[in-house]
Amino acid sequence: MFVWGESEGELGINFDHIWQKTLTVLNPLKPADGSIMNETDLAGPILFCVALGATLLLAGKVQFGYIYGMSGIGCLGIYALLNLMSSSGVSYGCVASVLGYCLLPMVILSGSAVFFSLQGMIGTVLALVIIVWCSLSASKIFISALDMEGQQLLVAYPCALLYGLFALLTVF
Amino acid sequence: MAAVDDLQFEEFGDVATSLAANPDATTINIEGPGETPKRLGPPRGSGREEDDELLGNDDSDKTELLAGQKKSSPFWTFEYYQTFFDVDTYQVFDRIKGSLLPIPGKNFVRLYIRSNPDLYGPFWICATLVFAIAISGNLSNFLIHLGEKTYHYVPEFRKVSIAATIIYAYAWLVPFALWGFLLWRNSKVMNIVSYSFLEIVCVYGYSLFIYIPTAILWIIPQKAVRWILVMMALGISGSVLAMTFWPAVREDNRRVALATIVTIVLLHTLLSVGCLAYFFDAPELDHLPTTAVVPNQTVVAAKSS
Repeated sequence: MFVWGESEGELGINFDHIWQKTLTVLNPLKPADGSIMNETDLAGPILFCVALGATLLLAGKVQFGYIYGMSGIGCLGIYALLNLMSSSGVSYGCVASVLGYCLLPMVILSGSAVFFSLQGMIGTVLALVIIVWCSLSASKIFISALDMEGQQLLVAYPCALLYGLFALLTVF
Repeated sequence: MAAVDDLQFEEFGDVATSLAANPDATTINIEGPGETPKRLGPPRGSGREEDDELLGNDDSDKTELLAGQKKSSPFWTFEYYQTFFDVDTYQVFDRIKGSLLPIPGKNFVRLYIRSNPDLYGPFWICATLVFAIAISGNLSNFLIHLGEKTYHYVPEFRKVSIAATIIYAYAWLVPFALWGFLLWRNSKVMNIVSYSFLEIVCVYGYSLFIYIPTAILWIIPQKAVRWILVMMALGISGSVLAMTFWPAVREDNRRVALATIVTIVLLHTLLSVGCLAYFFDAPELDHLPTTAVVPNQTVVAAKSS
């Protein structure tokens, strides 16, 4: 059923684009291409959310409800903010998609929580680095897709608060 | 320099003449490296802002007119509120810097806001303050009671909601009351300077910024340190508020003017002292276990004898 060789699977999942977007997230310093967000897909984000839940489960924390709840409300907040700050509007699916993709470094953080406890200096520093990484990637994609120049840090800050909540969930 | 702040209906020429007339007038330099090409591109109304800043802060009629043209959408759509988020990163940083460095004679509203009040700053500064107070309060209680075997640390999440209610209420209701009061006084005494509701919200929001590092430093469990921090924060933000609102009430009856400024500072004091008292336990509580141990020992001594 999954045809890995072709770029358009039977489920309509374009693996090539997913991989491209993942690479954009993983390298926060590389400028993003504004057109990659033209098609909003939720396959990647859902995958990352499930991965986050799974790694948290491995670390002993069963908190699926909190993850989905916070994601939903956080997406709503960022959606409202981006519509207010940009001249062209943005759809909720696009916001959810970008925020979901940028959750990938958080999965790395919760994965490492399985191996060592994050409640220490190393854990705190790692969590801060990951939060900054996530929010810089997310804000980079948002401002390149919505043409909001000079406002990257203003967009990054609310994203950092949202990812900070996720990090709190992971660490404590 | 005083003329620039007081008179709204000042003649303005082009950039060169107004800068020549007021060589020490503060202008915001927007032509940083790489900024200029971007400034002209996006159709966000940035051209209008650029004109406003180049011509100095005396063409408030022009921007008032344009401000009137801005708000044409009904208030339940996003477009109506989009005008209040039309700020760039450097503008927000500038305004925060202005709230941290109150300079006598320089009016925060005239200098930094310039008829472009934004809701981004006040909203996020309040949100950050709520988080900072809640987290610092919990952390400080945790650290103070560290090592006590009888104390079981429970993160108090309801403090977050209480902090949120208090701070947002302060940031919106007090400006509303102040705005209503100034409006009422304006109808009785002709004041030269008057502020719109959003400008007052803006000033209050940005003046709360100093409390964020203060709240984080309140984790230090020394009473003297905490009170020094309160004094410093109150001094800075109180003076920003006082200097902003003094020109607005100066024309009024002397007593009313003084009473207004005193009330503003008093409410600010109440907020900071209240937050300190409610969210942060007093450091003397760590003496309690030792006093609790002593009666035990006397009881044991009495039993054994």
